[in-house]
Amino acid sequence: MTPTLLGRWQTRILLMETVGLVITLLFGGGFLGNPEGSVYFWLLQYIIVFGLGWDYLYIQIQNFRWDQDWPAALQWLAAIWEAIFIVLLVEVLGIELPLIPASDWQLGWFIVHYGFVWVGVFIASQSLMRLMFPRWRFRGGQWL
Amino acid sequence: MSTIPGQVRLSWQDPVTGEQRTPLLTCPIAFGREFARMPAELNNQRVARIVLNSSQVSRYHTLIEWVQGHIRITDQNSSNGTWVNGVLQSSCNVSNGDLLKIGPYEITLMFTLDGTGLPTAEASEQSIIQVPEPDSPVPAEPVAAPANVLPPAFQAHQVVVQDLYATRLSVEEIDYLAVGAGLGSFIWVDFLRIFGAAPQQIRALGIEDRPYARYQRLCLNSQIPPHERLRSNSDSCPDNIWGWPGYALREAWQEFNKGKLNPALQYLWQVFAEPTFAQTYTPRAGNVFASIDREAIRIGWPQIYRFGRVRAIRQTNDGRYAIAYSPGRKQTAFVIARHVHLATGYPVLQFLPDLKAYREQTRDFKSVVNAYEDHNHVYETLERQGGTVVLRGRGIVASRIIQRIHEARHRNPNISILHLMRSPKPKGNRFRKAQRPVDNHFEFQPFNWPKACWGGTLREELEQATPDQRTNLLADWGGTTTADRQDWKVIVQQGLDQGWYQITFGEVTRVVPNTQSRPTTYIQEKGPRGEIKLEADFIIDATGLDSKVKASPLLNDLVTHYNLPLNPAGRLAVANDFELLEMRNQNGRMYGAGAITFGGPYAAVDSFLGLQYTALRAVDGLVTARAPNLRRLNGIGSFWQWLRWAQNQTP
Ligand SMILES: Cc1cc2nc3c(=O)[nH]c(=O)nc-3n(C[C@H](O)[C@H](O)[C@H](O)COP(=O)(O)OP(=O)(O)OC[C@H]3O[C@@H](n4cnc5c(N)ncnc54)[C@H](O)[C@@H]3O)c2cc1C
Repeated sequence: MTPTLLGRWQTRILLMETVGLVITLLFGGGFLGNPEGSVYFWLLQYIIVFGLGWDYLYIQIQNFRWDQDWPAALQWLAAIWEAIFIVLLVEVLGIELPLIPASDWQLGWFIVHYGFVWVGVFIASQSLMRLMFPRWRFRGGQWL
Repeated sequence: MSTIPGQVRLSWQDPVTGEQRTPLLTCPIAFGREFARMPAELNNQRVARIVLNSSQVSRYHTLIEWVQGHIRITDQNSSNGTWVNGVLQSSCNVSNGDLLKIGPYEITLMFTLDGTGLPTAEASEQSIIQVPEPDSPVPAEPVAAPANVLPPAFQAHQVVVQDLYATRLSVEEIDYLAVGAGLGSFIWVDFLRIFGAAPQQIRALGIEDRPYARYQRLCLNSQIPPHERLRSNSDSCPDNIWGWPGYALREAWQEFNKGKLNPALQYLWQVFAEPTFAQTYTPRAGNVFASIDREAIRIGWPQIYRFGRVRAIRQTNDGRYAIAYSPGRKQTAFVIARHVHLATGYPVLQFLPDLKAYREQTRDFKSVVNAYEDHNHVYETLERQGGTVVLRGRGIVASRIIQRIHEARHRNPNISILHLMRSPKPKGNRFRKAQRPVDNHFEFQPFNWPKACWGGTLREELEQATPDQRTNLLADWGGTTTADRQDWKVIVQQGLDQGWYQITFGEVTRVVPNTQSRPTTYIQEKGPRGEIKLEADFIIDATGLDSKVKASPLLNDLVTHYNLPLNPAGRLAVANDFELLEMRNQNGRMYGAGAITFGGPYAAVDSFLGLQYTALRAVDGLVTARAPNLRRLNGIGSFWQWLRWAQNQTP
């Protein structure tokens, strides 16, 4: 992939709030036997908001790459880092994020939820996005 | 040829177009990015001012002077410095054959202190040969203006449609016409069909029925047999406008179905991790052609294609275009179309001037060949008798030839290669914070442009740039590169270690037959060795193709007749959606695609994915212009069309 900053933002918001949201709603209803609740929904919003900032950093890193590209492998590494960052905030620094009460946070379920959302979003970005938006790949991920 | 002291023959390869430049100039000579920033006169002497386009070049970068019997180079406080023979210099005297590096430009300096006996090699505009063609009932256009053979009605600025009918020659009226019927035409037609146009609304005129015929011939000549891999990525699919599933997924699936899990996983890993953690995946030529055959049948290409050599194109007086073509020997017919798409590919092959001169003088077309011509006899002879090959150029075609000769060495080990390069390549091009990697004087890049030129940050930047800035960017991103293939690197390293492959640097001064009529290359080495002599059985020119529109009689006629502007690279000037704005005729639109539009809003015009981008922009433009039966494709409609593709149903 050769995303632009605007493309990263647009794709992140669209896929997280569609594919990611559907998966999150399933989690909210406890479909894997997990505790129900709105915490997954708010976590998803945090992932998106922090992600908008990370995207800015990734674009800077891209400038050091001759092809100014972002291979799928780097997408995965970035995704893993973004999850670690949230875990660091909550588990290590002990920060209580607004709308995410400490009592509702469970590291194990966070990882499972995050994993499902990310894999869903990744698969959609590799296939469905291209099929629904034929201009998307030429515009660095912008679909609007 | 006698010259005066202080005269210098400069020689470099243009990083944007790959053309050879060899001006003979008198000192003082100034180099810089902006003509007006360089001095017009120094000490009452006129300054020869050379503009070098690149953001790595300062506005006024370097000066060459004739000082007390020496040629002296002085850097003008440039940001990126002046390099002489690889050493950063603020001021120094130079000797004959020295190499001056300014940004991406590598300029060889040739002179004699007393001003006599300067090498005469001068690249001429004519240093080209025709692209090889199949045997055809209708020969290529004569170089003279093709309009001569056309009816007088065609000389008008706007042709009157009734006048064409009055000639009693065949006239056909159609909505969409593709000129060329090669890959660019095919891809445009593919978009038209998927966006709603019917086969009977579309006509494609060309001289070969399979859209990849010419491309395949150039591939075979330049040593890409069907099982070899091309140089484009998995989702550059000329048969599929969405690029999904890409060739890697399809090939993995084929292998998986044959029970071969390892190669299947390898292809998937490649597209996942390339180019950082794995070698870039590229599709096999044969698979690409087979996929195009399938799509051609699906969209009705056999109904759309017509044999015809296009002679001239005119506007009509009713907002359309009239195209005159030859459907057979000494025949003329017309098509009148609402909208026209030009994709005629490379008009000619660029040939190194000294090699062209050799062929013309000796009439020997066997020992000195262009890599894009059929030259299999070279490998056959080598396999039989052994021998030495001088190879010129260091792009991907040179890599393929080295690979082919490596294979020939399995049959006959007495084959060696002298790879002649103009200058060493210690470092790759630089663009802002990034630098291109180099190994053994080969510069590497997965594709012919940095990846982001197709659809990322670099595409956006180029589109928004002014024409001057565009030339700078293209020079920074351009230059000759080859693919970072592990097998090629191993072959080169083995060859160097075993001695059958050698690299020599120098500027060719002349190529002449020796007493046994073998081509002998004289090169100017820098330093005391001076002129050295390379004898070989064959010389292969792998330096490149050319696409100046003036070289195509059809385009030249169009440009002259309508006084069309050219871009700084000498190609057709097009808008960001590839329309030739000056050819707009009421509702009628004309678009260009491929190498003939290089130097404009998009770098990678000459590639499968670039042709798809171009076609998408052009067809979107037609939708906006309310062209017949087209509707914008997006969302569910797009997905629906993809399902039809997946099931091999007509669009
Ligand atoms: C050796 C080689 C390897 C390449 N490898 C790759 C690769 O791996 N990946 C990639 O993406 N790109 C590659 N390219 C670049 C590019 O994709 C091809 O060059 C492609 O064929 C360009 O399509 P085109 O339509 O512009 O030209 P062409 O496919 O050459 O089509 C032009 C057609 O116009 C016809 N024509 C010209 N004038 C007239 C006339 N007056 N009347 C009628 N017909 C006319 C010609 O006969 C020709 O059939 C490669 C190019 C070459 C040469």
